Amino acid sequence: MKSDRELVKYCIDKMIERGAEKAQCYLKHNKKHELNVDAGEMKLLRTTFDTSILLKAIINDQKGDLKINKKDECSIDRAVDQVIELAQSSLPDKANDIADKQPPKEFTSGREKADLDVMYDRLHDFVLYEKERYPKTMIEQAIVDFTQSNILIQNSNGVDFAGNRGLYSSSVMFTSKEGEKASSFNYSGFASKELDKPLHEYASVDMLLKQSGEQIHTSAFPGKMVGDVIITPDCLSSFIYYITAYLYDYSLISGSSIFKDKLGKKIAHESLILHSYPRSQEIAKNYFFTYDGYEAQNMTLIDKGVLKSFLLSQYGANKTGKPKAVNSGGCYIVEPGTTGFEEMVSSIDKGLLLCRFAGGNPSDNGDFSGVAKNSYLIENGKITKPVNETMIAGNLAEMIKNIINISKERIDYGSEIYPWIQVKGITISGK
Amino acid sequence: MIEKDISKYNNLFSEYTELRIQENRSCAISIVNGDIMGNNRSSESGVSARVYKKGVWGFSSNPTIADETVKTVIKAATENALYLNDRERKSKEPLPVSVGISEKDFMTKRKRKTQKEMIDFLKIVDSYIGKTYSDLTARTTVYRCLEMEKALLTSEGSQAYSMVPRTLIYTSLNIAKDGQPFDLYEIFGGFGQFEELFSKPEDLYEKIDKQYEHLKKKSEGVYAKAGIADCIFGPDLAGILAHEAIGHTVEADIVLGGSIAADYLNKQVASPLITMIDFAHTSMSKLCPVPLFVDDEGTQAEDAILIENGILKTFMQNKESAQHFGVKPTGNARAYAYSDEPIIRMRNTAIVPGKDKLEDMIASIDDGYYLMKSSNGQADSTSEFMFGIVQGYEIKNGKLGRAIKDTTISGIAFDMMKTITMVSDDMVWSCGGMCGKKQLIPVGMGGPALKCKVNIGGK
Repeated sequence: MKSDRELVKYCIDKMIERGAEKAQCYLKHNKKHELNVDAGEMKLLRTTFDTSILLKAIINDQKGDLKINKKDECSIDRAVDQVIELAQSSLPDKANDIADKQPPKEFTSGREKADLDVMYDRLHDFVLYEKERYPKTMIEQAIVDFTQSNILIQNSNGVDFAGNRGLYSSSVMFTSKEGEKASSFNYSGFASKELDKPLHEYASVDMLLKQSGEQIHTSAFPGKMVGDVIITPDCLSSFIYYITAYLYDYSLISGSSIFKDKLGKKIAHESLILHSYPRSQEIAKNYFFTYDGYEAQNMTLIDKGVLKSFLLSQYGANKTGKPKAVNSGGCYIVEPGTTGFEEMVSSIDKGLLLCRFAGGNPSDNGDFSGVAKNSYLIENGKITKPVNETMIAGNLAEMIKNIINISKERIDYGSEIYPWIQVKGITISGK
Repeated sequence: MIEKDISKYNNLFSEYTELRIQENRSCAISIVNGDIMGNNRSSESGVSARVYKKGVWGFSSNPTIADETVKTVIKAATENALYLNDRERKSKEPLPVSVGISEKDFMTKRKRKTQKEMIDFLKIVDSYIGKTYSDLTARTTVYRCLEMEKALLTSEGSQAYSMVPRTLIYTSLNIAKDGQPFDLYEIFGGFGQFEELFSKPEDLYEKIDKQYEHLKKKSEGVYAKAGIADCIFGPDLAGILAHEAIGHTVEADIVLGGSIAADYLNKQVASPLITMIDFAHTSMSKLCPVPLFVDDEGTQAEDAILIENGILKTFMQNKESAQHFGVKPTGNARAYAYSDEPIIRMRNTAIVPGKDKLEDMIASIDDGYYLMKSSNGQADSTSEFMFGIVQGYEIKNGKLGRAIKDTTISGIAFDMMKTITMVSDDMVWSCGGMCGKKQLIPVGMGGPALKCKVNIGGK
């Protein structure tokens, strides 16, 4: 039985022996403990073991990728044959490559083992707390898990990284009901290295549970207007996802990105500072290296409104001639502003507190539209009532230029840290 | 390939147990502007067990398929169930007994194509698009296949084997007009393997030509006017409405979690013209896009007639929810990967055809829209839905008019379904869908065209 390190080396040697000019192997073991609450009842305890082996072979600039989950020599040998066949069947592309040699490193983060009793106690206490505190609110599903990951990545250029991470994470989804009236569902979640406080105290869990009960009885948004919207941290996560999608390989290689010519240029209001910090102690759900074999580094994507980097992989950078990103994105942190949340609300005569966005995928030109879920009407500087069947529309590129305020307060999800952001120029229409 | 008969493990069960050995094989090739960006294959297989004990479940999985690991996962799943039972003490009754036996292997009998042959096929398609339509700013051709092979054994005596394949080709075209980018996708394929579905590239060209024509018209199109409008939903949209906006609200676990549909059983929730069924495997004498004969709890899968002539008749059930509601399980418990536990999922959810002709339906509208294709959809436990619309046309004086640019529609499905006044007499299955609910899983959805009133986002 080979050790993992011997196995990874064996894969690379075997691919080279079978004709690969460049080869990479990524091996990951996950051990996961997961507790599930369904419809408010503790229901399921899962323990799963997973293995992933990703092989990449390049022959004459032709690339093949193969993933298996078996470690025995027979499966590995068959996988090597298959990945060589995949590469040989492809087309040459000079952009195909593997990472350059870097000093070998081993990284560790979080605890080694789950504390199952703590997981159970936290979830059990959360169910009791929720039932007592929010009797109209039903937990549709709540999950607490601990995943221990051990990763090795090596390539034929001499890359040799190991990463070990233990992380708790949780998600909770809920709806409130009174008679035949129901709220929209909502959800929250977080990642954490320890479970050292009650679950409802993490991220936005308690805030959204409280809101859910308020959202059973909703009113129509009056009329149609173009105005101010405050995007909550939970909802900002969706918009950051939409915006950063324009910075990745596909969007830039296909030429469809709205930001394709904007590197080094101002794309947002100068108050916006967006970091991607996979190596920061601030982020519990961090990562150490990229899938293409580079040690991940922290970077600022948007600095005072200026686009400082794309999120291109090595392949994307080679293909477009634009600089490679120093990480694979994610782990986003938006710097706080100087305005308090209450102050933001009080600055709005009529507008919307946008708490969740259910929208169509934004168009290539950045236009978006969709339904404002779990959201509130703001009138005369106050949050007055939850709204129903309210649609919003705008353009992502315009929206980030139209930032008015960023809150001092932020929410830490363990994977991202976001403030509330006030933007102008959003079309809001009631039923 | 996995062993079809795993009954040799029958003597390892001490509690209610489901044992599943599964392999998911997938393949993906993507060509962007003539370059191969992705050329991947993957195989994930393993063994899992789920054990029930007086109201709680234990689950465990391992990627190694061997006698020893089968024993290990059953033991670990049993210990997990006992751990929870020890703390929860729910003392619930045993689950209803439901025994299913089935062996369905849909593996092609034809000689399998090599990766090179499939890449060559896609290159011809890509090259046709590039040469025929020189004004495109980008083109993408993607091939994806998924083969799900499962063997199931339960302590109640269910034994099932299935190998269900799905193969899809997507084409996406991008164009610019006055500096504004536009795009449109098309999907080919569905249930089956490449060898069964794609004989020659030219077979795709007619649909691609139409895709380009729709895209060109969209780039020259207008924004839809915001507000409530008379609309015809094309079959693609009717399918996503059935799945997303109605289907999820009547999954029994969502009902227990607070869905609005909990109070609607045996009440009028739609126009009397509407009958909606979650088909198990066969619809109108034809195999559905995602055929399921025995579910992953071992229940013989049956059609779930959700809405009959506008009345909500039933929810989709697994064993535990069926016990709660005092009904028979419908065979809706499905798991995506070997390492996933079965949860209540739709299979092939469709609104059944009516008696109207599409052309009469269009002719009946003075000012409205024909909405043909959706980018994505989301819905709520309140049945409030939102679909992105990427292909549609104005209807003016009973005739199709200008194309519309991308927009969004929304509404409360149980209200909107009551506005349906015409249902076309044909039906189209869409089989490219992956439904996300803790786990992703392939689903089929389908329907006829529907005439209704819906809220359009407009600009």
